[in-house]
Amino acid sequence: MPSDLDSQIEQLIQCNPISEEQVKRLCIKAREILIEESNVQVVDAPVTICGDIHGQFFDLMELFKIGGTCPETNYIFIGAALPSPTCLVPMNDPGDFVDRGFYSVETFLLLLALKVRYPDRITLIRGNHESRQITQVYGFYDECQRKYGSSNVWRWCCEVFDYLALGAIVDGRVFCVHGGLSPALQAIDQIRTIDRKQEVPHDGAMCDLLWSDPDDITGWGLSPRGAGFLFGADITKTFAHHNAIDLIARAHQLAMEGYKLMFDQTIVTVWSAPNYCYRCGNVASILELDEHLVQEYKVFQHAPSDVRSVPLKRPPADYFL
Amino acid sequence: MDPGLGVDEITPIALLMDELRSEDVQLRLNAIRRVSTIALALGPDRARDELIPFLQDSVDDEDEILLALADELGKSFEEYIGGKEWAHVLLGPLENLSAVEETLVRDKAAESITKIAAVLTSQQVEQHYIPLLNRLSHGEWFTSRTSSAALYAPVYSKVSPAIQEELRKGFAALGSDDTPMVRRAAAKWLGAFAKNLSKQHVLSDGLTIYRRLQADDQDSVRLLTVEDLVVIAQQLSPAEVKEQLLKQIRQSVSDKSWRVRYMAANHFNALSEAVGVQLVREELVNHYVQLLKDNEAEVRTAAAGQIPGFSKLLEPEVVIARIVPFVRDLCQDSSQHVRAALANQITGLAPLLGHGPTIEHLLQLFLHLLKDEFPEVRLNIISKLEQVNEVIGIQLLADNLLPAIVELAEDKSWRVRQAIIEYIPLLATQLGRTFFDEQLANLCMSWLGDTVYSIREAATINLKKLTEVFGVEWARTQIVPKVVNMGSHPNYLYRMTTVQAIGTIAPSLNIEIVSDEIIDALLHLATDPIPNIRFNVAKSLEVVATTYGKTPEGKELAQQKVVPVLEELKTDQDADVRYFAALASQRTLATTVQG
Repeated sequence: MPSDLDSQIEQLIQCNPISEEQVKRLCIKAREILIEESNVQVVDAPVTICGDIHGQFFDLMELFKIGGTCPETNYIFIGAALPSPTCLVPMNDPGDFVDRGFYSVETFLLLLALKVRYPDRITLIRGNHESRQITQVYGFYDECQRKYGSSNVWRWCCEVFDYLALGAIVDGRVFCVHGGLSPALQAIDQIRTIDRKQEVPHDGAMCDLLWSDPDDITGWGLSPRGAGFLFGADITKTFAHHNAIDLIARAHQLAMEGYKLMFDQTIVTVWSAPNYCYRCGNVASILELDEHLVQEYKVFQHAPSDVRSVPLKRPPADYFL
Repeated sequence: MDPGLGVDEITPIALLMDELRSEDVQLRLNAIRRVSTIALALGPDRARDELIPFLQDSVDDEDEILLALADELGKSFEEYIGGKEWAHVLLGPLENLSAVEETLVRDKAAESITKIAAVLTSQQVEQHYIPLLNRLSHGEWFTSRTSSAALYAPVYSKVSPAIQEELRKGFAALGSDDTPMVRRAAAKWLGAFAKNLSKQHVLSDGLTIYRRLQADDQDSVRLLTVEDLVVIAQQLSPAEVKEQLLKQIRQSVSDKSWRVRYMAANHFNALSEAVGVQLVREELVNHYVQLLKDNEAEVRTAAAGQIPGFSKLLEPEVVIARIVPFVRDLCQDSSQHVRAALANQITGLAPLLGHGPTIEHLLQLFLHLLKDEFPEVRLNIISKLEQVNEVIGIQLLADNLLPAIVELAEDKSWRVRQAIIEYIPLLATQLGRTFFDEQLANLCMSWLGDTVYSIREAATINLKKLTEVFGVEWARTQIVPKVVNMGSHPNYLYRMTTVQAIGTIAPSLNIEIVSDEIIDALLHLATDPIPNIRFNVAKSLEVVATTYGKTPEGKELAQQKVVPVLEELKTDQDADVRYFAALASQRTLATTVQG
């Protein structure tokens, strides 16, 4: 098994999709591993926390160059390997979207293959994009159709999404979640009682964990996203205090500087998609926690265009906005 | 099935035909790639009588398949059809392939025909090749005429004077063909053809064809004649060049199309060498200077690439008077590509000018380029400094160069840092050990603690290369203690770097250093609290054991120290540690048992 999987990882690192049959077996194996994980997966430091990738495959390769390869470095990906609504806003040249744009299939399958090969070295956490509904609307479904000529791969991937953990806790001190907190949850232990093996619901604790955002308000507020809530400094600090944690690490929102600390450093947004959608002009970051939980943010830029030119069909144009 | 035919006899060709009819392109491609095996199975007679005609009819396929077929037929395929005396049979399918639409296929077919021409006798050429050449040259569609241009040169020297005359006429016709594509092909192959002509015929026919093409109204034709000019000039005496070609040379270097000027600039050294020193000094130096200050950056880039080669043909005083002023201008050029090309070549002037003039005229320019805002310019000049070192000495160079290196080594872009690291071994060779230890050793060690993983990795590879430059004794005193020390750093990333650095440099050290100074530190890290460290220890132990395990001392080291620790790690609580330890243990055993 390892050598077989090693060659699949090798192939995916070259940004070549693996065969449909291999995807099927990979997804079955992934489910067997993920079902054993708890809703809040316990992870040991040192570990490097990564935010949204959004199918920017070559920037994920850049991330590994900065942070180290898996398994040498331990990783937690807090969700959103897949494209988002912003990515669908058409660029000046529609062909550009297809050619340069997105390798969500390769990105997700590579992370999944690494998970199966090194289950103790990499932790994948569910993001709001890892759902049937979102992927059908925002491109991943179409990409699977285009690359495999059927919806099988999409279906198998969706089954895997249902098994992904909802959060992780590093050495009991750093809580990782894709979106944020929920009014239905005061303790991390309460998350453990959720039956997570389902499509992301429209409301309730599970939905909030994947959808909520911190905001400069007091208490709870309605989210403009239509799902989850906004939560303020008081809520965040109380949650941190009750659960004896130092930091909540989450993703879900673009941070132009790569990361954004809020509320007296009790919560951080980590964003790992540089020059998001190839036009936002932001830098990205990863959060390295060493064995003593010392935080170091590694900021990085998008991969040079010659690096990601593998499938490029025409000379790289300037970025659009 | 016909009882007269055994299964063995019928299958190969039937199999090939089946596969060639397959819907799957990959299957058809595989079949073509195996066509020589099939010919071998059929034997020469049937290969000739059945296979070749079959292939001749299979030109109605994807270009990818045709390309493979054209390629296979050129790989000494005559050996499978009865030897050289039958080689002309292969011309049939290749003739068809020379007429298809796709250029790649036609070029490959012409290449294979050329290979076959080499084994044909004069008689075969006259009987089979010349008629083919005539058919292609007079083909109705331009594709076959285009292909034919390449096929004159290979057989010219093999045929009788009468046929040679026909060939010259045939080629001249291609040179004045109505279709620009055909004239392009003629311009492309004129040089090769002219090489075969006697001097008399170069002057009578070759020059006529060349002049016709050189004055073509299409610049895509004219630009190809620059290479013909070089070949023809090589065959004439300097006096004849001056008499016959001066006008054309002037026209090409000042052509209104920059693409032609670019070609002229790009081939300037070859042309200069062909026309002889006298004409260079009288005439070409003026043209060269024009190209150095051409309006188009591409032309200046190409001209800058020829600087030392061209200057070699001039007296040093002339270089200083005529070339250096323009070199100075190019250092300030608005295009970074020009400056990068210049940076790549400018150091080549130092040996031509000698010690004094280099310091006087060039050193300032080197420094200027070292501070260029584009990394590529800086890197190009740095990587060619050895030549300057030989002329002006290391001390003078280093005094001026080092601040720039140190600055680049701390560049905020990690890719620039990486480029500098990759250059360090070369620099070390140039600067020598004493200087390196004083000025650069600390820098090399500091990269081991870089925040970016790729830089740390490159830093360990750098240490390996430095060991190869300065030797193991140097490594023992300068590198090993520092690397080993980092193994007790409180941050696991440093300890990880120690483990990985040991795995990288151990093969370049020797068994004595490994067992005296390294192995204990590595074994100590096998009990590190971080599993990532432990499984990398297993990987590095594997490197040590498999590198040295074949020698008696290495075997002892492996058995007494490495194997017990790997056995321990095989029962580790972490699955990845167990996996890599088991792998390392297995490979260690395989090496030591073999040895």
